Amino acid sequence: MKMVALAYGFIWLAVLVYVSLVGRRLLRLDGEMDELRRRIDRLNR
Amino acid sequence: MRAIMSTMPSRTKSSLFVGACAITAALFIIASRAIVEAPQEVTMGLVQKIFYFHVPCAWLLMLSTLVCAGGSLSYLFRGSERGDRVGLCAAELGVLFGLCVLVSGPLWAKVAWGVYWQWEARLTSSLLLWLMLLAYLLARRYGGASARQLAAALALFAAIDIPLVYFSVRFFRSIHPHTTVVSTLGPGMRPAFWLALVAFTALWSVLFYARLRAENTHARLVELEVLLDQAEEKKP
Repeated sequence: MKMVALAYGFIWLAVLVYVSLVGRRLLRLDGEMDELRRRIDRLNR
Repeated sequence: MRAIMSTMPSRTKSSLFVGACAITAALFIIASRAIVEAPQEVTMGLVQKIFYFHVPCAWLLMLSTLVCAGGSLSYLFRGSERGDRVGLCAAELGVLFGLCVLVSGPLWAKVAWGVYWQWEARLTSSLLLWLMLLAYLLARRYGGASARQLAAALALFAAIDIPLVYFSVRFFRSIHPHTTVVSTLGPGMRPAFWLALVAFTALWSVLFYARLRAENTHARLVELEVLLDQAEEKKP
């Protein structure tokens, strides 16, 4: 039982870590997009 | 399909993505129930249930490697930037699911064989495949000017290793179960296995789509930044 729980637990933990890394990357992209919008606004003024 | 997706409004794409996530979650719930209800294998007992996650992860390691090699081929011979991005996203997923195979396998082996690891053909070639995908990611990050070409070449070598991983149990003396193990599963075990395989493949597709979309957006942002730099320089 211990080995089954360890194996299943590890797989889900690994997937969750990867999903959180992708989520962080998407947040960083949002930041970059906001910065780009600010630069376009400054250029249009 | 790609042409249709690119013409769709962003909200429609997001709805499709949320729908795909919901279907994947539902598949995992159904698969989990089938795994719990599947009969225990006579000689190994409960630990055999690792099989239902271990084999799908191994399949996804191979699928990721094939997709990575396809993207890398397209980048190397046609200069496709999209192919390069496909290769990167697939390699990341290959490392993720390869790690799951390399951890779940030894945990199963400790109970079934009495040892965590044996330097036999299937295990060694799988470790080699995972290391090549890891090398792909490291080469891209630290490989210098021609990092992407070097990584793409590594992806092609990794793809050559796939037949070795798959057929190793037939051609070499191995204690690992043979490729025919799926067809010998009992009738109560088959639905659990196929449901787990479909659920994991759906998870791979959702993760790959999300990661590729992020990478495509990043590439577009970089292009826009260059255009903006030029526009700012021209402005008096």
